[in-house]
Amino acid sequence: MTGGSSPDGLNRRDALRVFGGSALALALAGCAELLGGDDDVGDAEEGDVPDEPIEAGLQTFREGAPAVLGVQAEYGAETAVGRINDNGGVAGREIELDVVEEGDEHLENYQQFVDEGKDVTFGPISSGGHEAMVPEIDDRGVINVATDGTVTTLYEEDFPDTTYSFRFQNHDVMEALAAAVEAVEILGADEIDTYAGINPNYAFGQDEMEIFSLGIQQLADAEEVYSGFPDLGADDMSTHVTNVNSEEPDVVFTSCWGGDATLLLQQAQASDMLENTELVVGPVLYGSANDYEEGDLEGPIHGGSRNFYWDQPATDQWTPAADLFDEVREEYDVIPTAHFMSGYGAVTAWATAADKAVRILGRWPEQDELAAMLEEHGFFTPAGYHTMATDHQGYSNAHFGELAWSDELDAAVLEDVNVYAPEEVSPPPGTTSRDWIEGW
Amino acid sequence: MSRFTVDRDGETYVRPIEGLELTRRQAALGLVGLVLLLAVPDITRVTPLSFSIIHQGILFGLAAVGLNLLLRHTELVSFGHAAFFGAGAYGAAVLAHHYAVSSGLVLLVGGVLVATVVALVVGYLVAGYLDIYFALLTLAFNQVLFAFVLQSRYFNFNDGLAVRPEGTRPLLLGLELSPGAYSVILYYVTVAFLLVMLFAMWKIVNSPFGRALDAIGQDRTRARFIGIPVERYVWIAFTISGLYGGVAGGLFALLQLHVRPEPVLFVFVSGEILFMAILGGVGTLVGPVVGGVVLIYLLRLARFYVEYYHALTGIVLLVVVFLLPKGVLGSLPEIGDGLARRRREPGLLREDAGSVAESIRDGAGRAVSTVRIVVFGVK
Repeated sequence: MTGGSSPDGLNRRDALRVFGGSALALALAGCAELLGGDDDVGDAEEGDVPDEPIEAGLQTFREGAPAVLGVQAEYGAETAVGRINDNGGVAGREIELDVVEEGDEHLENYQQFVDEGKDVTFGPISSGGHEAMVPEIDDRGVINVATDGTVTTLYEEDFPDTTYSFRFQNHDVMEALAAAVEAVEILGADEIDTYAGINPNYAFGQDEMEIFSLGIQQLADAEEVYSGFPDLGADDMSTHVTNVNSEEPDVVFTSCWGGDATLLLQQAQASDMLENTELVVGPVLYGSANDYEEGDLEGPIHGGSRNFYWDQPATDQWTPAADLFDEVREEYDVIPTAHFMSGYGAVTAWATAADKAVRILGRWPEQDELAAMLEEHGFFTPAGYHTMATDHQGYSNAHFGELAWSDELDAAVLEDVNVYAPEEVSPPPGTTSRDWIEGW
Repeated sequence: MSRFTVDRDGETYVRPIEGLELTRRQAALGLVGLVLLLAVPDITRVTPLSFSIIHQGILFGLAAVGLNLLLRHTELVSFGHAAFFGAGAYGAAVLAHHYAVSSGLVLLVGGVLVATVVALVVGYLVAGYLDIYFALLTLAFNQVLFAFVLQSRYFNFNDGLAVRPEGTRPLLLGLELSPGAYSVILYYVTVAFLLVMLFAMWKIVNSPFGRALDAIGQDRTRARFIGIPVERYVWIAFTISGLYGGVAGGLFALLQLHVRPEPVLFVFVSGEILFMAILGGVGTLVGPVVGGVVLIYLLRLARFYVEYYHALTGIVLLVVVFLLPKGVLGSLPEIGDGLARRRREPGLLREDAGSVAESIRDGAGRAVSTVRIVVFGVK
């Protein structure tokens, strides 16, 4: 490895040491310019590494209401793959990424990817699909890094001993608890006596409401006065809005996402729901940032942005996020949301672990070696630093802030963003989320 | 003459079992089909074909064979047959997930019982209805079941239930198997069920009961006048049909090892099962199985090769409806005869080309007229 200096005067060797020892890790952290345009990837290219490209598959939602999330994940994965290939690939191997619609065929998609000889697979968005996949992933032995599929109990209770299945994005407990902590931060525990929920009527919505309820009851001893579950993709939520208006709770919690989030806020505005509650908190409200109009965001609405908000840390302090923001705006004409980072981070987790494995082993790793390498693996993305823990769950900061409108961007933004470290909103290893919260 | 052949009208027929007589061509095709069916695990090992998808296709095809009993004989269109497929799958899943039943056979029997009970109840309520009312009622019951499962914590909402008692695969034939062995053994269990149930269906449709169903399909009033208990027979046929769906669903649960509402209970799945029967050939016994394999392959894997895979499925349906109204399998004799005639008389190909050109010309002319009327009015 050479020890040249970048244009910024940073010693190349020091830069590589700081960012995990490889040019690839540096590029995926959004700091490729530190290498001063040198494409040499150092020791990673040496050793017994196949010549052919890495075959990767991603399943994500590309059509229908869930595409609000899924397409962002696709953009994120494509961006990460582009950066990897622009920087010489993983140990010299470029990645070829095939993307398919996940639909309801999660198992079949994974099986087909494996049958095609994919080296790694990414996705899905769906929590139910992810749950169905995990045992199959362990049977087939080809690593899958889920972009989302964030049901809390998956690795805590259902599959505590999985070998080949990983998940990058924060799981439900982290965002639902962040919402509860955010509500207490904003209003104060003594000011929250009652709360209500409007959540999508499927496992994710039930999971989120249950955890938020546990959290807000422990933090503020609040009482639930209404809980409604509109169907996913509902065309009317006015009944739930009316019920909230009649109860006038201090806090309204909603895990509605995509088009459902937009519809809920529109109908809430039309029925003055924001005047009948002190605060609305929604852990995935910022996922629909590209869909809102200015009028949808009036009133005390605080939205979560999972493990990535493009302006946190502030882009003038943290240039990787600023660069990523500009790149995505230019390439895809959208604001990158946390779901963009789901795709970007899943690819980055695997690629940086593979890169590290090659440098340690001096050859391309087997699937089980790479799976072991992914455990307790830490890496940077433009969102900051992430870890893939022993339980195969990714841990990153959780973001929450007030939804507002930016005339400059002509889109929704978050203001006064609070960042919650993983240990504030998720249990220590070996403890389930429910036990942990109930023990507060 | 051996006991397996019979001469009639100067033609030799193969008679594998009493009452079933096949032309030599049909017997050869049947034998080839059986060999292919048994060789699927090996074929998929040396080709890019997907073993799991073919297995799934056969299972959905088995459900379509059950649906075809109603469609072909009583001429009733059910838009709710996913209810029985899903009931079979969930019956097995509940036993595995909530009661830790490890025997694959017990799980399957449980699923079939649940599906049969559901079919008995629904069949009793819809047996007296005809045409669109029957179709919409079956669809409504299907949706009620789907919504109930989707919103129930017991069924784990839309995340579904794992069919892994104590976290492991169910036992097959009393054996705890590796993933590869499990999938192959389960496939041959499916083949055994398929052959037995195809034979049972053949016996049913060729029995007096089957003839009575034909009579009901042709004219209910006349059937009633000759003493056929119409509603009761439709109810029985509906239940048998649901039982087929239950067997298919139970085996599907054992194959997938995880059951979620959308892939097994959503009303579109009912449409797909109906489409399989039409695609393979409503007028045939085995056609729905062929339709099942073809459609499942399209639905599951077309997305890997074609961007607009929904359109591809639609185009296949259009082609079948317009060009192969008897379905893929049902049209084979006509296609074979047509090809033989064209080999004998190549001039017919010119006529075909002329017919196609004329059709296109007529279609284009009508399109121009329509556009002219839309733009300029009738005058």
